[in-house]
Amino acid sequence: MRTSLGVLLALAVAAAALAAGASAGHRVAKVTTVTLTGWASSPAETASLQDTIAAFEKAYPAIKVNYSPINGDYATSMIAKFAARTPPDVFYVDSSVFPDWAKQGALLPLDSYVKKTHFNTTAFYPKLLNAFRYQGHLYGFPKDWSSLGIEVNSAMMAKAGITSAPKTWADLNADATKLNNTNAVPGGKPVCLSADWARLGAFVFQNGGSFLNATKTAATWNTPQVAGAVNYYLSYIQRGLAATPAQLGVGWCGEALGKQKAAIIMEGPWVQPYMSSTFPDVGYKVYPMVSKGPTKGFGNWAFTVSYSIGRDSPHKNQAWTLLSYLTGPKGMKVWTSKGVAMSSRSDVKPLPSQQPFALAAPYSHPWQFAPGFHTVTDQAGNELQAVFDGKESVATMLQNIQSLATTALHGG
Amino acid sequence: MRTIATRLRPGKRGAATVGGARLREALVGYAFVLLPMAVFGVFFLYPIGYAIYISFFDWGIYGKIASVGTHNYHYLFHDHVFGLALKNTLFFTFTVVPIQMALGLAMAIVVNQKIRGRAFFRSAFYFPSLTSSAAITAIAIFILNADGLLNKIVGGHTPWFENESTALWSIVGLISWTTSGTMMLFYLAALQSIPTDVYEAAAIDNTGTWRTFWKITFPLLKPAHFFVAVVSVIGAMKVFDQAFIVSHGTGGPNNSTMTMVLYLYRTAIYDVHFGRAAAMGVLLLVIIMAFTLIQRIAFGRPEVQ
Repeated sequence: MRTSLGVLLALAVAAAALAAGASAGHRVAKVTTVTLTGWASSPAETASLQDTIAAFEKAYPAIKVNYSPINGDYATSMIAKFAARTPPDVFYVDSSVFPDWAKQGALLPLDSYVKKTHFNTTAFYPKLLNAFRYQGHLYGFPKDWSSLGIEVNSAMMAKAGITSAPKTWADLNADATKLNNTNAVPGGKPVCLSADWARLGAFVFQNGGSFLNATKTAATWNTPQVAGAVNYYLSYIQRGLAATPAQLGVGWCGEALGKQKAAIIMEGPWVQPYMSSTFPDVGYKVYPMVSKGPTKGFGNWAFTVSYSIGRDSPHKNQAWTLLSYLTGPKGMKVWTSKGVAMSSRSDVKPLPSQQPFALAAPYSHPWQFAPGFHTVTDQAGNELQAVFDGKESVATMLQNIQSLATTALHGG
Repeated sequence: MRTIATRLRPGKRGAATVGGARLREALVGYAFVLLPMAVFGVFFLYPIGYAIYISFFDWGIYGKIASVGTHNYHYLFHDHVFGLALKNTLFFTFTVVPIQMALGLAMAIVVNQKIRGRAFFRSAFYFPSLTSSAAITAIAIFILNADGLLNKIVGGHTPWFENESTALWSIVGLISWTTSGTMMLFYLAALQSIPTDVYEAAAIDNTGTWRTFWKITFPLLKPAHFFVAVVSVIGAMKVFDQAFIVSHGTGGPNNSTMTMVLYLYRTAIYDVHFGRAAAMGVLLLVIIMAFTLIQRIAFGRPEVQ
C-alpha cells in the first residue's frame, strides 16, 4: 500500500512539473548559447574580455556566450576540434596560422554575412583586414593588433645628453654611439637587438624589402633590400653598439631594459605591463619605431589575431552576431578601453599610451607568410641565429632561406 | 571421494572427452586473451595500419587531399631538418641507453645488498621515474638556467638548455637520471632470481667481489640486459616531452633539440601536413624494429636458467 501511494505521489509531482515546464516554455524566448574560445594571456585581458561579453549579452539577450579559453597548446586543441567537426562558434586565429587553416577549409567565409547585415568593413586598417583574406574571401576580422616601438631608458638617455627620440636610422646610430662614448650603460650595451625576424623584419620593410611577392607565389628573401637591412642591423652588434639578449644574459630585450643592461630596445606594447609589474622603478619612455629616412622608409610588423567562425560551427548566425559585435565599434571600444589591446578600427581611437604603436598602422605588415611556411620561419630563425653567432654569412643564410621558401610555396 | 578424474565421464567418448577438456581449456585461454588482444588491435595495430595508409597521401585536417604515392618519403629523405632530427635522436639513444643501463645496474646491485634503509633507497631511486616528466623538466629549466642552482655550484654562466652545444647533453643527463630508476627495477628483479648457491660456490673458491661481479653476475644477467636494452632503446628513440618543454616546442637552439617525434608533432600541428608526419612515424617504426632485431641477434636466445 505504501509503495503504491509513493508511486502515485511521484506521478503527481512529475505531472505538475511537466505542466509547469510546458507553460514556462511558452513564456521565455529561445536562448542560444554560443561558445567563444581563445587563449588567455593575462588576468587583465580576461577581465576586459568578460566586460565586452557582458556588454554584448546586455545588447543581445537572446544569445548567451560561453567563454572557455584553451590552456596549453592552442593549435593542437583547435586542429583536433576541426577534425572532429565540433569547432567552437567563435575563436581566435593568429595571423601566422591563418593561411594554413583557411587553405584547409576549417574557417567559414564571412562575405555573405557581411552583406546580409551591412557590416561596415571600411573602418578596419586595410593591412590588418587583408591578413584575413584568402583567395579573395574574408575569413575573419582582426580583434586587435600590436606593432613594434622604441623603448628607451630615460636616465641613461639623459646621461648621454640625448634629449629627443631617435626618428631615423641616422638618429639611432648617433644615439647608440653617444651612449657608448659616455659609458651610459655600464655592464651592458646601448642597444638590445633580438636575433629574430619578428624584429629584424621591421628594418627589412623600412629598407623597401619584403619576404614574399604580392601574390605570394615567389619568395623575395634573397634580395639586396633584405640583405641591406640584415647587414645594417648586424653592424650595430659588430661595432659593439648592440648585443642580443643571450649575449646580455637575459631572456629578451624587455628584461634587458628592466635590468638596465640596454638603453634602447625595440618591443611592442606588451613591454608596458611587464615593466610596471616586474621593474616598476626603471624609468623609460616609449617612442614610435624608427624609419630609414625622415620622410620615407617606414615599415613595421603588425601582430594581429582574428575572430573567426568554423566551417562546422553549430550556431553560425548567432556566432556572426557575436563576432560582428566584438569587432564592431561598440565591442572594440569596451575591449580596448582598459589598455590591454590596441584597436584595429580607425573609428575607435587608441589610448594615449598606445599612440606610438598605433600610428604605424598604415605601414605595418602582418606577421604572416603562406600555407605550409611554419618550418620555413623556424629554419629562417635558426639561420639568422647562426649568422649572429658568426657561423654563417648573410649571403648563405638568405640563399638557404630562399630555397626553403620556394620549396614550401610549391607545395613541399 | 569424487576426484577430477571421475568427473570426466569415461566411456565410449573417453579419449575424445579428454581431448575435449584440453580444447575447452584452450578456448578458455583464448577467451581470456581475447579482450586484451581486442584492445591491442584497436589501439595499436589499427592506428599503425592507418598511419601507414595516411603516409601515402597529402592528408589535411579533414582527411585525404590527394594521393601522392611515396612523395612524403622522398621529401623526408631530402629534408635537412629531418636528417638533423634523426641524427639527434640516434645520438641521444646511443648516449642515454648505456648510461641508463650502467646506472640502473649499479643502483640495483647496491640496493640488492643488506644495507640500512634499503627500502628507502629503492623508493628514492625509483621515484623520478614516477613523477611527471613535464614537472621535472620545468624544474630542471629553473635549475639549469644561466643564473640557476647548477651554475652556482659548478661556476660559470652557461645557459645549459639554451646553448646549441649543451642543450642535448643536458637532456641526456636529465633523462638518464629520471629513467635509470626503472632500469634498476628490472635489474633488481633479475638479480634476485640468480640462485644464491652460485655465490656460495664463488665464496668457497675465494673469488673477489669484482671478479664475482664480472664473471658470474654480469653474464647471468644476459636476459635482463636484453630486456633493458630493448626497452631503453625504444623509450629513447621516442623522446619528446623533455625536448618539447626545454625548447618551448621549437626544437631548440638551431635544431639541436629537434628529435624525430618533435619534428613529427610540428609537421602535424603547425604545418598541418599529416601525411608527411605519418611517413615520419612509419620510418621511426622501421628503425626501432631494426634495432630490436639487431639486439635480438646480438644477445642471442635468452638462456634457460
